[in-house]
Amino acid sequence: MTTALSAPSMTSPEGDDINHDSEPTFRVKRKLPPLGLLFGVTWLVVLTLVTILATYFPDLVPFIRSYDAKVTVGGRAKQYGMGPGWTAWFGTDASSKDVFARCIYGARITLLIGTGATAIGIIVGGGLGIISGYFRGWTDRIVSIVTDGLLALPALLLAMIMVTRLDALKGTIGWLSWADRTWQITITLGILAIAPLARIVRAQTISLREREFVLASRSLGAGKWRIMWKEIMPNLVPAMVTVAFTGLGILVAAEGALAFLGLSVERPQTWGKMIDAARDRIGDAWWATVFPCLMLFLTVFAFNLIGDEMARRFDIREAAV
Amino acid sequence: MSNPTQAADRARSGDRSEPLLRLTDVSTHFRTPRGLVRAVDGVSFELNRGSALGIVGESGSGKTILSRSIMGLLPTQNTVRRGVIEFEGREISSLSRSKMRKVWGKEMAMIFQDPMTSLNPVMKIGKQIAEPLMIHLGMSHHAAAETAERLLHDVRIPEPARRLKQYPHEMSGGMRQRVMIAIAMSCGPTLLLADEPTTALDVTVQAQILDLLGEQRRERNMSMILVTHDLGVVAGHTDDIAVMYGGRLVEKAPTRELFANMKMPYTEALLESIPKIADRSHTRLSAIPGRPPDLVNPPTGCRFAPRCAYVRDKCNKEEPPLIAAPESAEHLYRCWYPVGSPEYLETRVQIEDRRTTAAAEPVAAL
Repeated sequence: MTTALSAPSMTSPEGDDINHDSEPTFRVKRKLPPLGLLFGVTWLVVLTLVTILATYFPDLVPFIRSYDAKVTVGGRAKQYGMGPGWTAWFGTDASSKDVFARCIYGARITLLIGTGATAIGIIVGGGLGIISGYFRGWTDRIVSIVTDGLLALPALLLAMIMVTRLDALKGTIGWLSWADRTWQITITLGILAIAPLARIVRAQTISLREREFVLASRSLGAGKWRIMWKEIMPNLVPAMVTVAFTGLGILVAAEGALAFLGLSVERPQTWGKMIDAARDRIGDAWWATVFPCLMLFLTVFAFNLIGDEMARRFDIREAAV
Repeated sequence: MSNPTQAADRARSGDRSEPLLRLTDVSTHFRTPRGLVRAVDGVSFELNRGSALGIVGESGSGKTILSRSIMGLLPTQNTVRRGVIEFEGREISSLSRSKMRKVWGKEMAMIFQDPMTSLNPVMKIGKQIAEPLMIHLGMSHHAAAETAERLLHDVRIPEPARRLKQYPHEMSGGMRQRVMIAIAMSCGPTLLLADEPTTALDVTVQAQILDLLGEQRRERNMSMILVTHDLGVVAGHTDDIAVMYGGRLVEKAPTRELFANMKMPYTEALLESIPKIADRSHTRLSAIPGRPPDLVNPPTGCRFAPRCAYVRDKCNKEEPPLIAAPESAEHLYRCWYPVGSPEYLETRVQIEDRRTTAAAEPVAAL
């Protein structure tokens, strides 16, 4: 309908006789397809699906070996003997386990830690940001000092202290027994994610609270919590999601870095742990290191591509990231 | 003296002769690094039930701050408020925010200038209308949705059921202002404050919105305060007009009386600055020379004196009090030499003389 309506005014006289026999259509010049976004979304969706299937419905994906299955050729398991090939797509590692299968199982923990940490960042950081941006004054001052402090924390030191202390506390304090390695790392990375989210949410809230619809809602008798939650918060979602995606990439990479230091989940191994475990033998068996690296790279890349595209669409400056 | 509608409205709510709103010496000052800004300075007036008051003035005359002072919607920091605002016989200027929240929306509501920004862009229209209904009247989701649809119908929005599910960006400016009116009226307030409700709209839509406001006001027996810079807007839609200048109320009269018999040279200048359709094309538009007064250091005498064509020594020295006109007790003005006084006429003759000489001998005038 739209085409039919606008066609007469838009078609030039020269264009008319060219398009005479075909439909009187004209093509609005499209922007380039968002290849980055397409790749990012496809990669993440496929990875998540395969991971879920491998974990919960192993029968549906017979090409993924179970976590502890040894790859055998002619009844004998070979250490590092097998490079990437048809039998084991990504080769086998030191204990003749399938690197491909382990990459898939590792994705589960990596993605869980990443999303968990981001969730902590969004809830705590977003909450702090909206409160300090809305109330301003002393609240804002205190929250800003806290977030600045968090940004100044040496991340690796924090991680080492958190993991070692929590490991020790877990043994002695009963109610901390849930805090296994996965949780410890999630919480550590979550703390690191608070500050950037708090900053961008605060900045956005400051500009939103001066908008007329907030005043209009106040003039109808809405209380401050209601205004924050119902009026301002929905307007923050694009910014939060954008920062969260970019942040997810950083967090996944950070998890790899922690694993490299030995601060990682033991089973199933995360990608970082796999790289760490296989890196001594990189000369003989490059595949056991390179493929987890590649997975890590592609996943971080996917998150960043999605985050960038969102920032472009929602017009969010990355100054605060 | 007053028009028939007003008389009818008064008769309807006749049992309560008390005015709905009474302002006594209301001042709102802001502390700034430059000094105290006297945005509203000693304003007093009364507003009867069911009647409409237009507050007119140019930018910076304090009209918006006055309307926000009545609502109590001002920032608390660095604001000095004085005077008494009584609403339904109750002092509201000293109420706490939490107590005011019960008044906002339910008893007083406000419509803002720019419908483009006064609706939440990420919330559906239906939810935005239903929200105050659920807060104030404790309606259920279902009842609120039904009421919202009826309200949209009342403000003449076609296909209300479909519109409820739309977002603000799917509507035009006039449509959005209608939605704002629906939201403002949702809880049946007794006083509606409209702060330049048509300034951001097309001229053709302006009239529709004003008619809608008038119609809803009469139907619901609401009082309305219409804040505008445009005398033409208030002319057909209000019972009384208050003219503000430099934070002061300078003239107040029933609409007809004001237009027929204006006293302040400022009001006259405002009216003259409206281009007339009978003028020849390329007629020079008349403007009031100079700029609105500095509200940090207002002029000592009459605030309009520095820009007034009829200024005399007394105007610069003493500020005229707000007095009633001899013809009508309801007509108040603040001027030493009002329109029609001998001094005024004397100056007027001189101005006319100068103008004709200038036109006849342009070179000599230079």
